[in-house]
Amino acid sequence: MADWEEIRRLAADFQRVQFTESVQRLSERNCIEIITKLVEEKKLDVVHTLDGKEFITPSQISREIREELYAHGGRINVVDLQKIINVDLVHVESRVNEVVKSERGTRIVLGQLITEHYLEQVCEEVNDKLQEAGQVNITELSKTQQLPADFLTQELSARLGRLIDGHMDQFTGLIFTQNFINRQKAKIRGLFSSITRPTPVNNLIGQYGLQDNLLYSLLEELVNSGRVRGSVVGGRQDKAVFVPDVYCRAQNAWVESFLTHNSYLEFESLSRLGIPDPLNYIKKRFKDRKLLFLQSVCVDAAILDQLEASVEEAVSSETWIDLQLLLPSCLSFDDSATLINHVVHSMHVQSSVRILGTAVISEKFFSSCLALFDDIMQPKAQAEVKSGPVLLLSEDDVKLASVIAESSSTKRDKREERRKKASEGSGSVRAGAGGNAREIRTRKTKKKNRREEESDDENATTQSKPAEPVFLSVQEIMEVLEKRVCDCPEETLELIAHELVRPLSRAYREMVYSLFLSSTSASPSAEKRRHTAKELQEEMNTLYANVRALERGTKHFPDDVQLHMVKHILKSVCSDLTNVMITFLSDDHKTIMDNLSSITAEMRMKILAKLPDEIKAPLIKVNSSLNGKSIEEFLCHVEAAAEQCGIMIKKGDKKKEKQVLSIHRQTLMEQLQAAVDEALVLHLAVLLLFQQHTHCMLLAPGRCVSNIIHTLQSKLPQDQYELLMQYHTLVVKQLVGKKAEQMDGESEGSAEELMNLTNNIKELVFAPRKTSSFDK
Amino acid sequence: MADEATRKIVSQIPLLKTNSGPRDKELWVQRLREEYLSLIKYVENNKAADNDWFRLESNKEGTRWFGKCWYIHELLKYEFDMEFDIPVTYPATAPEVAIPELDGKTAKMYRGGKICLTDHFKPLWARNVPKFGLAHLMALGLGPWLAVEIPDLISKGIIQHKEQQGS
Repeated sequence: MADWEEIRRLAADFQRVQFTESVQRLSERNCIEIITKLVEEKKLDVVHTLDGKEFITPSQISREIREELYAHGGRINVVDLQKIINVDLVHVESRVNEVVKSERGTRIVLGQLITEHYLEQVCEEVNDKLQEAGQVNITELSKTQQLPADFLTQELSARLGRLIDGHMDQFTGLIFTQNFINRQKAKIRGLFSSITRPTPVNNLIGQYGLQDNLLYSLLEELVNSGRVRGSVVGGRQDKAVFVPDVYCRAQNAWVESFLTHNSYLEFESLSRLGIPDPLNYIKKRFKDRKLLFLQSVCVDAAILDQLEASVEEAVSSETWIDLQLLLPSCLSFDDSATLINHVVHSMHVQSSVRILGTAVISEKFFSSCLALFDDIMQPKAQAEVKSGPVLLLSEDDVKLASVIAESSSTKRDKREERRKKASEGSGSVRAGAGGNAREIRTRKTKKKNRREEESDDENATTQSKPAEPVFLSVQEIMEVLEKRVCDCPEETLELIAHELVRPLSRAYREMVYSLFLSSTSASPSAEKRRHTAKELQEEMNTLYANVRALERGTKHFPDDVQLHMVKHILKSVCSDLTNVMITFLSDDHKTIMDNLSSITAEMRMKILAKLPDEIKAPLIKVNSSLNGKSIEEFLCHVEAAAEQCGIMIKKGDKKKEKQVLSIHRQTLMEQLQAAVDEALVLHLAVLLLFQQHTHCMLLAPGRCVSNIIHTLQSKLPQDQYELLMQYHTLVVKQLVGKKAEQMDGESEGSAEELMNLTNNIKELVFAPRKTSSFDK
Repeated sequence: MADEATRKIVSQIPLLKTNSGPRDKELWVQRLREEYLSLIKYVENNKAADNDWFRLESNKEGTRWFGKCWYIHELLKYEFDMEFDIPVTYPATAPEVAIPELDGKTAKMYRGGKICLTDHFKPLWARNVPKFGLAHLMALGLGPWLAVEIPDLISKGIIQHKEQQGS
């Protein structure tokens, strides 16, 4: 085992170990610090790699670059190079620049290192492709090779004869083989020789797979050499159109022949032929010919001559001519109008002709037509004067009146009414020939309808002057013309008739007016009709008292009956009162009244319209209160109006009232005496009885009779009342029977009974005192 | 105990097997032999790591040891003499290393310049009897003490560099 010897030896070993040199060690960061210091002091030229683990000398970088370039087949991206060498990009780039400088044929393109060798290789590839496809596009190449087109173009064109067998188009950047060009040329020659009408080049390119960049230059060459006849319009763009000469020639020939044959050209037909701007085309093409340009057509002088000649003829022969037949059929309405105008103006005959649509009518022909109507006009005017003098108020009056109250619809009604009246006046005996009358009426209304239609679409002036005396409708004028003027087509006749309506009706109105004036000044009856102011005042007062008395009479009845009676009174007595008043006033203002009772509300209105304002206002109120429901109101207005017009009205005149009562009774008595009709007898008898018993006047419509009898019940003796009731029921039965048109036989018995009773009733009324006294 | 580096260094020192003190004739020789082998290994390791910090030699019987130890602080080498005896109860009791030079200069020292080892060292040693030897004493005892005390003393100005002292 171990002994001291060994210990001694170990101790010696230990000493030895302790005294051996300890290893001098440099830590890694010390080394790095030392190297950076050296590099800083330019004592060492090294570059460290990106991971910092290695240092590399610049020359080694250059060598590695060259090796990598070779390994990558002559083309390498500088960025890739940097990744491979793993040094900062700055060093790589500086070394790369050095390499490019030192080695011929090596260059940097788009950050890529490319050698001459690589380019040659590319060119060979391109050549292969070219021989295969016939053409190569540089832009495509630059896409596949990822090299700029400029660079490629430059490099390829430098090797064009040597490595690449073909031609390059500098503008389009295409390389072709001669074969390819020849093929295209042949194709184009064939295609364009066969074209016969304008064809967009773009379509052809698509359809036949032509090379559009080659096409234009080749086509130009062919066109210039005369091999292909035609022209390219629109430059080298998408819009370019090839127009073959053949087509142009055919087009021109067609236009020429059309113009010579028809003497006109329609613009639209030219555009259909494919002429883009017909107007300018015609102007250019037919410079020397005199053409008249209209909106859609141009017309040759031949047509103008023809038109002029025919117009000339119409003027000189004092007839008319319809130019429609001479005009080209394609002319629009506007164009024909301008053309005819042009012709007429160029001939300086516009004063002696009238243009109606396409017809030209000589002024003299026109006046001869007017003359035709003279003999018809005279009798018609006279008839008109007789029938309705009120209608002859001048136009202004009518306008005023229409402004005041009426709407157009009532106007029309009025017109209708007036026409009816006119027909009644002019057209034979009214009562007997009912059928005849109706016939007349329907004919008139028919015409009126037609007239209305015309006035609707033709001219509004007739509508605004509704009171204008109508002479003849267009239809009537046409009928007359048709008889007198032969060989005239319907349309022209109608046009002439339309043109004639206005002057004719004007002439007619004048004639009617002058006739009327002469007739009024001549007739003595007008003088007679005039009342003196005093007479009128008397009459007014009588009527006024009448109304008052009647009003008192109505008070005996319940409201609903009263209303009927009031209305009746307003319509009869009050209207009379108003009429008297208006007549009196209008006499002052030289207006002529025909018949007092026949004046209707509308006529009153019309007359009123003519009166001066301060009188008009109260009178209008009076007039409108006639349609009201209160006599009181009416009387109020009448008093106001009378005051305004200077008529004296005595209000509480007892004497007058008594007089009125007796007169009323007298008249009723007389009427009853004469009456035969049972209903009338009953009516009058009832009224008289009422007056006897109440000392009030009464005026009531027939349907109020039963109410009156009912009121009388309390005042009459029983037997008289029963008699009345019996008579009343019989009368009613008879009336009902008549209405139902029953057989006479059935009601015969009651009729006899009625006859008997009639006498009884009359006795009852005429001798009231006696009977009543007997009863008592 | 101690830092990672120290632990690594200690783990590379071969452990001892023989549990015997200077009084056991035969066995002590065996122990001494193991001590030497262990020390040689430790020194070799230190040299290899460029971390040589002491010189040590013993008397013939291997009971008394003396030598030098040094510490480099701010590029200056501070060198001290050191000595210790193998206690009779070795290896149950750890030897007490003394640096006479520093006697009275620091609180962490017993009379006669014996360094005051950390509280950790003694239990650690006790746990590892008989596996720890002199090499472990150096690595775990003196080394850390120097590393802690010397910079402190220098900063206090209690010890100064020899050359500076000289000049």
